Parts: sequence; structure tokens; C-alpha cells
Amino acid sequence: MNLDYTAEDELFRAEAREWLDANVPREVRPPDGPGMRDFDLGWQRKQFEGGWAGVSWPVEYGGRGLSLTHQLIWYEEYAKAGGPNAELLFVGCNHAAPTIMARGSDEQKSYHLPRILSGEVAWCQGFSEPNNGSDLGGLKCRAEIVGDELVVNGSKIWTSSAHLADWQELLVRTDPAAPKHKGISWVICDMQTPGIELRPILIMTAPGHHHFNQVFYTDVRISLSNVVGEVNDGWKVAMSTLGFERGTAGMLENIRYGAVVERLVDMARQRLGTSALENDDIGQRLAQLRAEVTAVRAMTYRIASRAAIAPPGSEASLARAFFSQLQQRIRRIALDIIGPDSIELPDDDPWIRPYLRTYSNTIAAGTSEIQRNIIGERVLGLPR
Amino acid sequence: MNLLPTEEQQQIVDMVRGFLAGNAPLERLRPDKFGQIGNPDAALWPKMAELGILGLGVPEDGGGLGLSAVEETLTYIEFGRALVSIGVLGATLGAHLAARDAPDVAAAIMGGSTAVGLATPRGAVEHSDGRFSGEFHLIEADEAEFVLLLTSEAIALFRNEDFTDRSARLSMDSHMRLMRARLDDGKALGWSSVTEGVDHARANLLIAAYATGLAEAALAGAVDYAKVREQFGKPIGSFQAIKHKCADMAIAAEVASCQVSFASVILAKDSEESRFHALAARIVAVDAALKNGATGIQVHGAIGFTAEVEAHLFVKRAHLIDFIGGDQRVQKAQFIGADAVM
Repeated sequence: MNLDYTAEDELFRAEAREWLDANVPREVRPPDGPGMRDFDLGWQRKQFEGGWAGVSWPVEYGGRGLSLTHQLIWYEEYAKAGGPNAELLFVGCNHAAPTIMARGSDEQKSYHLPRILSGEVAWCQGFSEPNNGSDLGGLKCRAEIVGDELVVNGSKIWTSSAHLADWQELLVRTDPAAPKHKGISWVICDMQTPGIELRPILIMTAPGHHHFNQVFYTDVRISLSNVVGEVNDGWKVAMSTLGFERGTAGMLENIRYGAVVERLVDMARQRLGTSALENDDIGQRLAQLRAEVTAVRAMTYRIASRAAIAPPGSEASLARAFFSQLQQRIRRIALDIIGPDSIELPDDDPWIRPYLRTYSNTIAAGTSEIQRNIIGERVLGLPR
Repeated sequence: MNLLPTEEQQQIVDMVRGFLAGNAPLERLRPDKFGQIGNPDAALWPKMAELGILGLGVPEDGGGLGLSAVEETLTYIEFGRALVSIGVLGATLGAHLAARDAPDVAAAIMGGSTAVGLATPRGAVEHSDGRFSGEFHLIEADEAEFVLLLTSEAIALFRNEDFTDRSARLSMDSHMRLMRARLDDGKALGWSSVTEGVDHARANLLIAAYATGLAEAALAGAVDYAKVREQFGKPIGSFQAIKHKCADMAIAAEVASCQVSFASVILAKDSEESRFHALAARIVAVDAALKNGATGIQVHGAIGFTAEVEAHLFVKRAHLIDFIGGDQRVQKAQFIGADAVM
């Protein structure tokens, strides 16, 4: 065990810090709409041009081909520099791209990967359906093979930023007769294709931002060449993405939360006084949260250490399940520190909307309950 | 950067685990037919001394093996798994303190020829320049020649006879021998304060490591039982009500284990961040030990309430280690007052 960095690592860190100090956008990120899209894609383009967009991406796809340790260093410096939470880029960079890298054809790789990395396009996800959330494998959105095309009919839901995305990673049922996990395909869908309609869904931070959508597909025609992996092998293709999301993709967020807790500690010291805080219930809870978020950083390091040997597996659910609930408790204590004024929702509010947003953390990308099933069955070996 | 054990470190873990499997299986803690519970672990010290375990992290010029806090921490996870008498903490920490000021004492401790008990405050402690007054619990001090005192402010080594007004008490953790005693301006053989060096941080780190092993063992016991115990025609581990409890135990143990490893590497470098990371480790690990101890009993059901399985031992030992040098409330008050380490 060691936390040592080579001279080359330290040089990389210094370069990252210097570039971020000079380039992190100082203007406020628009919370939704085309302004947010322009902001996020513009920031991605800037990182790409600076050579920082794909630190651990292979060189052949436009990345720098560096180790996960370098990626971790980049994230640490990014968090310290107050880099924006460019959520619109998440699905493309952390879902679609790793999946296409692992399972895509040469044509898919050479077309999509450079566009994702350089900030030309935004992606959204089409996994959940109105009747298939946790039971994702039972999805029903139908795709019939007609000639060299898929004809898609059905609906997807909880699609973040579908109205701002160019592409979608879409799971469809291509063989309704096969056992449920065997008849699914993973498809690249152009969001401008005729037959796609969107219905905005307001989320619980309303009034406010347009985030979620339901997506309807009526005779949407997609070329078979857009299938990633084999037709009917989409479940396995999708699982490689989820493993990634539960493992390394969350690193930046994990690191960022250390700074959130320190802001809370500062706020609590100002409001309660340093010595009163030590024996106050808020101080006790905040100490617990501070210890836990410190441990999250250690968990991130261990995940990175394991990932250097093998891709993240089911044990990544341990960190994911822990962190999603920790985020909720961290955001929750802000209300207790702020006190009565926390029932106000100011325009420039840094605490209340983020608190409300954390209710999604234990639902999205596999609910806490699904994560616990995975831990129970695949990490601990308990029977199904 | 690598937060996984090296091959050499794994060999040390395997050696200690093998030794404890042969010499300190959990079954040793089952009561005999009279319900009488002694302490079977005093016999371990000379054997552990022979293997070098008691002076593992003490520098070579102090008579130890000269390994780092990382290796020391890995062995303490194993001690926690086997519920080795926490008198071992007195030996390790006492050897570290004595190695600087009283080499003959250090040699006797590391050689296993003399035991070191633990002292922990029952209330306020007065302390100035190595002299301590107050009321304490002594743990595993009956046949010990020395006693290691841990408070939230300092760590200090005493001769056992420095403590007066002794009266024996039965411990909730009935394998551990307990008494009350006091110090009146007792002068320590060696000591250091929380603000200087890493002695105090090492105590918190090793308590955290022990708690981590305990949390892991409680988890393993619960999972093993949930796989074989059947109700409604299937193993209870197939029910989400039980499965998710086990998952929560696994999460708590993993959180503890990661922070303990991280803190051990920081401490091995004598870094100023040692105090912060060791405190964080102690808070999450003792939390895991308390939670996993309690949940383990519930997963076992009625048998978990009996002395015929090990489940109850974990929660009792967790409560005991929680109080050594100050419980979670005390540790959290310290931690929220500490400067941020980013």
C-alpha cells in the first residue's frame, strides 16, 4: 500500500492545476435549456482542445491513454479548482463512450467517440420504461427487424435532457419470444429521427428546471448498423456500462463532496461557534459525515487500485450504495444548519435544490434496494 | 498510489491469520458448562512475541521488527476478527512508548514476558507534563506489570502499581477483566500528547483496525448463518429483509476497511494529517463494529441472543473498544474541531 506519486504524476498534477486555474469557467452555469447545453459542450470542447478531455481514454480515440491514477489526479484537481458539474456530458462520456469502446464496431467507434470527446454532441439514456424500472430486464419497447432496419415502437421514461441530446443509448426488445434477458438489443438512436416525440416531466425541484422526459417512439426507423454488440445481446452490453457507472464514473462526484462537507463545517462554525459546535447534535452529526466523506475518498482510491487490475465488478455497488445515501445525509444537514430560513427557495440557492435533487441518488442507476440485492447475491453469495 | 496490500503485506496477514486460526479460534470464547468465562488469551503473548508480532511496528533500533503502520494495521484487523484480548493494544502501544525512553521495558513487552493492561478514563482527567490524576477503568491489568493509559488528549505508560483504590468489576464483555482504580498525580514512564508525533494517532488507528476486523467477522458470521438457516422452506438469506441487512453490514465493513488502510499509509509517513485520518478511521470503524455487532444478533434470531453462538461477543467487544480513550461522542467532538485535510 502506498499513496506515493511518481515525479511524472506530480508533473501531471501541476500541469492540470495550472490549466484548470486558467480555464475553469467563472460564469454561472445555466440550470437548464439551450444555454446549459452550450455551456456544457463549450466546456467539454475547451477541455478537449487543452488535451484534458479524455485523460484515461485510449490514444486511438483521441484520449491521452494515461492510467486511472492520472484520471484520479485530474478529478482531484478539477474538484479543487471548482470545475463545473457538467451533467449533460455524463451519459456520453461515462456511459455511451465506454460501451462503444468495449463493444462497438470500428465504424461506430470512429464516428461517435471523437464527437463525444470533443464536445460536439450530447447523449441521453433510454433504459427505464413506464413499467420497467428496477426490473430493467423486462423492458418492452419493441424493435422489429425489417430489412436492414429496426422499427421501434414504445416508450422510455425518466430520460434526463432528452430535449437537449443529439443521440440516445436505447435498449429495445428485438426478440419477444426469448427469455427476458436474451431478447434485448443496445442501439444508437439519432434523436432527430422522425417518429420520436417528447413529453417533459417536472421533477420535485419544481418550479424550476426542465430535466426529465418521457420519450415516445412511433415507427422510428434505425439502421441495423447502429446496434452495438450483437442483436439480442444488449443486456450484456448494458451491464458493462452499469458496472462502469457504479465504479469509476462516480469518482469526480465522490471527491467533490469532500469540499461540500467542509463548506458545511465552515457554515456551522460561523452560525454556532466552534466550541459550541463540538457538543451540539449538529456538530456530532457533521463529524460523522466528515469522517464518512473522508472514507469515501479512501474507497475511491481502493476502487482505482482494483481497477488497475480488473474492471469494476459487483463490489463497486458497496461504494455506490454507501455514497448515494451519504450524499442525502450531507445535503440534509444543511437545512438544520441554516435553520428556519431553509424553507425559503431563493433564486441563487446553493443548498435547497441540491438537497431535493439527492432524493434521486438512491433511485437512479439502480435503486439502493437493487444495489443491496447485488451486494447480497454477488458479493456475499447469498441465495436469490 | 495503491491501496491494496503488497504481496509481502499479504504474507504477513496470512501468517497472523494462520496463527490465530490455530491458537485463538472464536470457539475458545464459548462459556464452559458453568457459564464461567476466564480469559484464555494471556497464553498468546509469548507465542506472538516469538513470531515478532508484538513489536512488529516498533523501529529496529528500538528492538522491534521495524515494519510500518500499514503492516501493524493489517495485523490488528486480524486481531479484531479473532477477538484477541484487547490487552494486545497495551502491548503494542506500550512497546512504542517504552522503546524511546525505557528500552528494557520495551524489550520485556515485545518478548511477551510481561503483559500491559489498558486504562481508560471514567471521567475528567487532570494532566500536566506527564503527571495524571483521575478515575479510570483498568482492562486486562490483573497480571500486568504495566498499564497503558489512553485519553482523548494523551497516551501514557505507567507501572501497574501506580494505580490505587482498586476494585474489581464484572465487565459487560465478560472475557475482559475489569477494575476501577485511580491515579493521583501519577508520573508516566513515557507519554506523548495528542498534538505531538503520531503515538496518539496510532492508538486511534489500531482501535479502528481492530474494530474493522470485528465488523468483518460479525458480517461473516451473519452471512454464513443466513445461507444455512431455513424458514418458509428456504434459506433466510434469500429474503430481502435479511439480505439487505447483510448488505448494510458489508458496506459498513468496506467503508471502515478503506479508511483504515488510507490512514495507515498516512501514519506510516509520519504525516501531520495522521491525527485527522486516524480519527476519521476510528469514527467509521467503531460505528461499523457497533452496527454489525447489533445487526449480526438480529440476523441470527433467537440463537443470536444465546451464548451458544459468537454473535453476542462482537457487540460487547464493540462497546468496550468504543470507550477506550473516549467514546464516539468524545471522538466526534475532537474531529469536528480539527482543521480540514483536503
